[in-house]
Amino acid sequence: MKYLPLVLRNLGRNKIRSFLTGAAIALAIALVCILRTMPAGLDAVLASAAANTRISTHNEAGIVYSMPYAYLAKVRAVPGVVAAISWNWFGGAVDITKGVSFPNFAVDADQMSQVYADWPVDPQVFEDFRKYRDAALVGDSTLQKMRWKIGDVITLQSTVYPVTLSFRVVGAIPVANNGSLYFQREYLAQALSAAGVNFDTTGMIWSRIDDPDRVAPVINQIDQMFRNSEAITATETEKAFIGNFFGGLKQLVTIIQIVAALVTLCIVFIAANTASLSIRERIGEIAILKAMGFRKQTIFSTLLAEAGLLALVAGVAGAFTAWGLIKALQMFATGAGPQLGPLTQFIVSRVILVQAIFIAFFIGIISGWVPALGASRRSVAQTLREVF
Amino acid sequence: MIDLVNVSRLYHRGADEIHALERVSLHVDRQRFVALMGPSGSGKSTLLNVLAGLDRPNSGEVTVAGQRLNEMSEDQLAAFRAHTVGFVFQFFNLIPVLNAVENVELPLLLTHLTKAERRQRAETALRVVGLSDRADHRPRELSGGEQQRVAIARSIVTDAELIVADEPTGDLDAKNAEEILSLLQTLRRDFGKTVVIVTHDPRAEKWVDEVIHLDKGLLLEKRPGGAARGMAGA
Repeated sequence: MKYLPLVLRNLGRNKIRSFLTGAAIALAIALVCILRTMPAGLDAVLASAAANTRISTHNEAGIVYSMPYAYLAKVRAVPGVVAAISWNWFGGAVDITKGVSFPNFAVDADQMSQVYADWPVDPQVFEDFRKYRDAALVGDSTLQKMRWKIGDVITLQSTVYPVTLSFRVVGAIPVANNGSLYFQREYLAQALSAAGVNFDTTGMIWSRIDDPDRVAPVINQIDQMFRNSEAITATETEKAFIGNFFGGLKQLVTIIQIVAALVTLCIVFIAANTASLSIRERIGEIAILKAMGFRKQTIFSTLLAEAGLLALVAGVAGAFTAWGLIKALQMFATGAGPQLGPLTQFIVSRVILVQAIFIAFFIGIISGWVPALGASRRSVAQTLREVF
Repeated sequence: MIDLVNVSRLYHRGADEIHALERVSLHVDRQRFVALMGPSGSGKSTLLNVLAGLDRPNSGEVTVAGQRLNEMSEDQLAAFRAHTVGFVFQFFNLIPVLNAVENVELPLLLTHLTKAERRQRAETALRVVGLSDRADHRPRELSGGEQQRVAIARSIVTDAELIVADEPTGDLDAKNAEEILSLLQTLRRDFGKTVVIVTHDPRAEKWVDEVIHLDKGLLLEKRPGGAARGMAGA
């Protein structure tokens, strides 16, 4: 501790350089902290987005492959299935030249309210959806993005089927992560029939099970039922289904974390270069200290302490900056509406803070090690001859 | 105080061998003020480094203050320097981020003294060199002569027996050079220090007890200085 004032004075020797080095480390640490929130945040998003009694059935080959629409009746007949609806990707676009800007599906309106009983949607809205042939339910985020309101009539040109349909928005779906538009399958079936197109397939079947404990046996029973059929099915929980969608995102997160690790490595080199410059500038002073009787271990320790202390302070600043940013983002997301709701799931936990501060200290120690070792081992007489 | 027997020091510069010291034998009594003189490259600074424990000879025996330096490890040499030797350099070499009293206090960090004791001793050392009123000044706020006096205070703060100075007046004007030489003589006379300086400055001769001439690594001549003839300060 008696060397601390000397260490602090040396850190303040070139304030701009110390600040810039510290800022680089702080920025890297903040980045690492924010990226470290992603795995747990995505898990939390998945957990919050999925109901534990809702399951999805689709073609085993993938969701782009269809199944016979007759499967729906068979699924509905499975003991434990409270309700089930089919989903068909409509691929409707407001402006066909700009492509599909939000997901839209044709669904069975009759059991929609039962399958999605956990949605905070007024029963009257579900009733309107069931009652009006051209009714559409639209996710809040899409309503806001497209500046639509309840009662608006909108037109979508399908990129899958040779039809263009108009819909009346009868209700909003105030659920985070859900920007989809749903409309009646019957409406699409009639339009396709008029166009002379046969429509007897479905892309997915979503079912609600009466008891969470029965989910696994029901999944097994459904897949067993279609094992020898023309379209073998794969049934999974909603969480697993969404998780598969997020699978690609998780890989992206892994890549981002690798990039963050490389950034951290770059910061090590930058900090090492700065430490090396700083020590080289003082090589004469260091020789004088050694001449006075400072042992090489003491010289090494004080130089390393400089690098470690700077990185530690920068790490604390970076970690708490990330914590503050995430907190601010959460507050903003909470007030901004459901489309930003998932952001509230990303949390800079205590573990992340401690890990980040440790990484920063490690950066300092690694970056200072080689230059400090070199300076401490340098011969006093040789340095005095060279420098003075 | 200082005994060197057949000390040789050889440097390699590329393929060349440089004989900085060749079989130099030297004895310096305690409480003497000795000047090592000679042309550039004569081996003066090498000799100073060897007897101060900064450099090791290739051969020969070095004994200072009763301690044989040849057999010491790096750490033991560091401890020897910390307790026995005080250093003064041509360019003062104060730490620019520390003020005068903190610079003087620096060698005391190697002792077990408390912070208050360290500060008290540093202030005493500054008083000895006449710079009590400049204790809070950074080196850049001091003149060359004042900086060198701070360096001398730093060299005596541990109560080292041996003070070595490499060209202590080399960067000073005539007046300040005289003051520094006078101060070193005072340290020898009033505080019982043994002082060895390397210098080109002919003015130093009248202040020292002994002048040792070296050339090409050889000790050529050893003769009394002005102080021994009662000329110091004249």
